[in-house]
Amino acid sequence: MSVEEKVKEITARITHKNVDEIAADGTFKDLDADSLDVVQILVALEEEYNIEIEDEEMQKVTNMREFIDYIERKVAEKGS
Amino acid sequence: MQQNKPFEGRVALVTGGSRGIGKAIALKLASLGAHIVINYFRRTSTAEETAREIRDYGVKAHIIKANIGEPDKIEDMFREIGNVFGRLDIFISNAASGTPRSPLDLDQKGWDWTMDINARAFLLCTQHAVPLMSQGGKIVSISSLGSFLVTPSYTSVGVSKAALEALTRYLAVDLAPRGICVNCVSGGAVETESLKAYAEEAAKRGFSVQDTPAGRPVKPEDIANLVAFLCSDDSYMIRGQVIIIDGGLSLQL
Repeated sequence: MSVEEKVKEITARITHKNVDEIAADGTFKDLDADSLDVVQILVALEEEYNIEIEDEEMQKVTNMREFIDYIERKVAEKGS
Repeated sequence: MQQNKPFEGRVALVTGGSRGIGKAIALKLASLGAHIVINYFRRTSTAEETAREIRDYGVKAHIIKANIGEPDKIEDMFREIGNVFGRLDIFISNAASGTPRSPLDLDQKGWDWTMDINARAFLLCTQHAVPLMSQGGKIVSISSLGSFLVTPSYTSVGVSKAALEALTRYLAVDLAPRGICVNCVSGGAVETESLKAYAEEAAKRGFSVQDTPAGRPVKPEDIANLVAFLCSDDSYMIRGQVIIIDGGLSLQL
């Protein structure tokens, strides 16, 4: 499973949505995700890829596409 | 055993031990000779830095990432402690979280999240800790004045801390025959990052930690010193108590 697919799967599971509801230009707010949901999504991804997601970096993320790109970068950094 | 290392050879777990009050407790116990297990929620780099500071005392430091709101993660954590150290002598239930909401704005998710981490985890962790404490032990929970005083938006945390304090008493009696002492330390407004989230709102009501009769706010090290005493043999006859350390803040109207 690609990083993008995993991000969507985890996001969908925690927000109780279908994966196809995770739109690239959508936001966590569009998914009715509150701050606790977002923390759970971040922790799940941190555990999945053994990465550390910076809260400061997350504040710059404006939609799912940027979120997925950010996680892909963190995973790539970890692997390099 | 060296006189200045009363905890030499003992193993201590501090949940939420990578920063704030938990870090101060971890460092204090390490300075007294205990090997330390740091449980942390998210920031691995912060936990690793704390572990380095612990090792400077010549003791072992082991970090475990786990959201203690999840029972499975608690089970995994204690299995790891058992595999690495084979024993546990001191358990400090310090990790806490919360959703700042007034009672009418607090939703079920925020309630469950806070109760799971602040109250239920203390029970589940203790259930896993006891089998590792075959030679007796010390358990200290960390509470706050919000368990009996009302602070804006502190609803979920305050209620969870009341449960934590009650559980401390039940455990103190139940675990006494096993040679395990259980007590609780309730800190006033302690100078940590977490305080900032609530301090601003409290300040609007004219409340200030600067009003502390003792002349200064409580520092994490103040809490750590008291926790160390409760983990020492000198406190053997203190059981199930909630000891407030707030510089006299809560005595005032």
